[in-house]
Amino acid sequence: MRKTVLFLAALLLVLSAGFAQAGQKYRIGGATYGLVGEYMKLWATALERHPAVVQGLVDLTIFDGRYDASVQQSQFETMSSQGYDAILFVPIDIEAGAAAVATAHANDVIVVGSNTRVNSDLLTAYIGSNDVISGYMEAKAVIAKMGGKGNVVIIEGPIGQSAQIERREGNLKAIAEYPEVKVLEMRTANWSRAEALALMENWLTAHPGQIDGVIGQNDEMALGAVQAIKAAGLDVKDFAVAGIDGVSDAIMAVKNGEMDLSILQDAVSQAQGALDIALGYLVKDYQPMSDCWKDYPEMKWNGGKDKNYDVPWTPITKDNADEQWAKRQDLTAR
Amino acid sequence: MPEEASAPGKPGKFWTIVWELRIAIALIIICFALSLATPYFMRERNLINVLRQVSVNGLLSIGMTFVILTGGIDLSVGSMLAFGGVVTASFVSNAFKDIPSINPFLAIFLGLAAGTLLGAINGVVISKVKVTPFIMTLGMLSIARGMTYIYSNGMPITDLDKTFLQVGQGYASFLPIPVAIFLVAFLIAWVVLYRTKFGRYVYAVGGNARSARISGINVGFIVFMVYVISGFLCALAGTLLTARTSAGLPQAGMSYELDAIAAVVIGGTSMTGGKGSLIGTLLGVLLIGFINNGLDLLSVSSYYQQVCKGMIIVGAVMLDYFQSDSDR
Repeated sequence: MRKTVLFLAALLLVLSAGFAQAGQKYRIGGATYGLVGEYMKLWATALERHPAVVQGLVDLTIFDGRYDASVQQSQFETMSSQGYDAILFVPIDIEAGAAAVATAHANDVIVVGSNTRVNSDLLTAYIGSNDVISGYMEAKAVIAKMGGKGNVVIIEGPIGQSAQIERREGNLKAIAEYPEVKVLEMRTANWSRAEALALMENWLTAHPGQIDGVIGQNDEMALGAVQAIKAAGLDVKDFAVAGIDGVSDAIMAVKNGEMDLSILQDAVSQAQGALDIALGYLVKDYQPMSDCWKDYPEMKWNGGKDKNYDVPWTPITKDNADEQWAKRQDLTAR
Repeated sequence: MPEEASAPGKPGKFWTIVWELRIAIALIIICFALSLATPYFMRERNLINVLRQVSVNGLLSIGMTFVILTGGIDLSVGSMLAFGGVVTASFVSNAFKDIPSINPFLAIFLGLAAGTLLGAINGVVISKVKVTPFIMTLGMLSIARGMTYIYSNGMPITDLDKTFLQVGQGYASFLPIPVAIFLVAFLIAWVVLYRTKFGRYVYAVGGNARSARISGINVGFIVFMVYVISGFLCALAGTLLTARTSAGLPQAGMSYELDAIAAVVIGGTSMTGGKGSLIGTLLGVLLIGFINNGLDLLSVSSYYQQVCKGMIIVGAVMLDYFQSDSDR
């Protein structure tokens, strides 16, 4: 038994040494906040399919932050000590990642933030989408379907997370433009479909016939609300329902007319764009390889040296749901 | 009240009855208060809603009652729920490409088998290898969750068979199917616990494992079986939740063990085993469900719900403490 263990350990050592010496590749780490949940899976998959990774220019390792800032911190320490060239960083929270970024900076590792901002000046660059805008867009769409007046309920993310704070800001900004729109309820369901389902069932009981629109701060919760509406024997089409993120199930729901809108948070562009930006600092005269710069002409490459890159949101409605669905099928195919 | 009950010798008959019915009385008081506070509470539709919302926790709590009666604990219920749910979902999904879609009943059977298997692993390790239930099921909490992510590739399994969704969304005459399943499971569990030798042995093992062994009870088998039952019921709950939310969600059931244990404890079952009742658990499940529902109807922040639930759990255990004091 002990011999086997020793042998395995020795084998591991030899193998890892071998990998470390292989070629002049750039070692880049993708530091995700956690690999559970569709968004981060898509983000990681998109990175693995970036042309630079496929062609072997980049040696990519994806790290699972397990929803814990201290896990991410120790992963940064590991990457720094192992001589990674760059880290693509999706922090669990806006305030939680600053120490990790400082660790990398002290070791001259480039850190490109993606998806969620970090409160740190040491970040080399950031690429993401503005959550206030998505919150505004979804509330606008819901109110538009309601004809500019009526009662809405807002299902919020975990209170205090940056996405919740900013999406709420956007939600309320849109609602403030319509004096005849009233917010009946605003509560958290912690991004969870099952929690939102029970919450919406209870709201439908507490406000019978009064709810006209549902603003879910993510798709999962909007989908939970749709289930509750169906369970109550009501017609989903009588409600305006919107969510954010563009998860597969939501695209499907838009296709079926159960949701009016989902707003795609483009994981592919946020991931591949971040890798392009990192390579821009590592490779002389680097030209971006990802399609995302062509997909969004309004997002300018500018030599790769901007501090901020804003990935536009793509509304998914009945008109483009089929196209988005096909794209997603392609990305999730194993 | 506990003072009266603990008076040496014979407590007043009235207070004995009050004590026996304490959970039912608490439930009635809460329902009464809620129906005064909001006109929507006592409506048929709301009551049906509550029953549907508690059916998942109800199934977990039945299994948990068996386990706790033997003096054990099952921390892995939420993870086993998720595993059973995604396994079932994978067999009725048109989007899950690794596995073809099959007959929904067969799919449910496979999901239940998967959960039962995990429960059996808990049972074998606890009864044969003598790893304490707390440690084994804590390990299983992590193992089953990890297996769920591996199996589902960390993504929700969607696009499920329409017939299958009826299990969570349909009605059996006026009762939602999840409620009907919960009630049937409860009745079967009641018969098993109170009308069979096995049920008496469950109590005997929890009361005093050693004397149970001496009197010829196969203690290992009883302990093994309660974890199997728990695993089975978790998978059943996972299947219901999957059908209710129209997706096999790998994150489903996180920290559901807390609500299940809370319901059992509120229901008066002793954490040291041997004492308690299934009816008590049912009342505990309803109590938690009504409180959550009532606070939602009254637009009370969910933060207060958590404080409230915690206080009820501690309060219930404190009452039991006074009670067992009076037994001495």
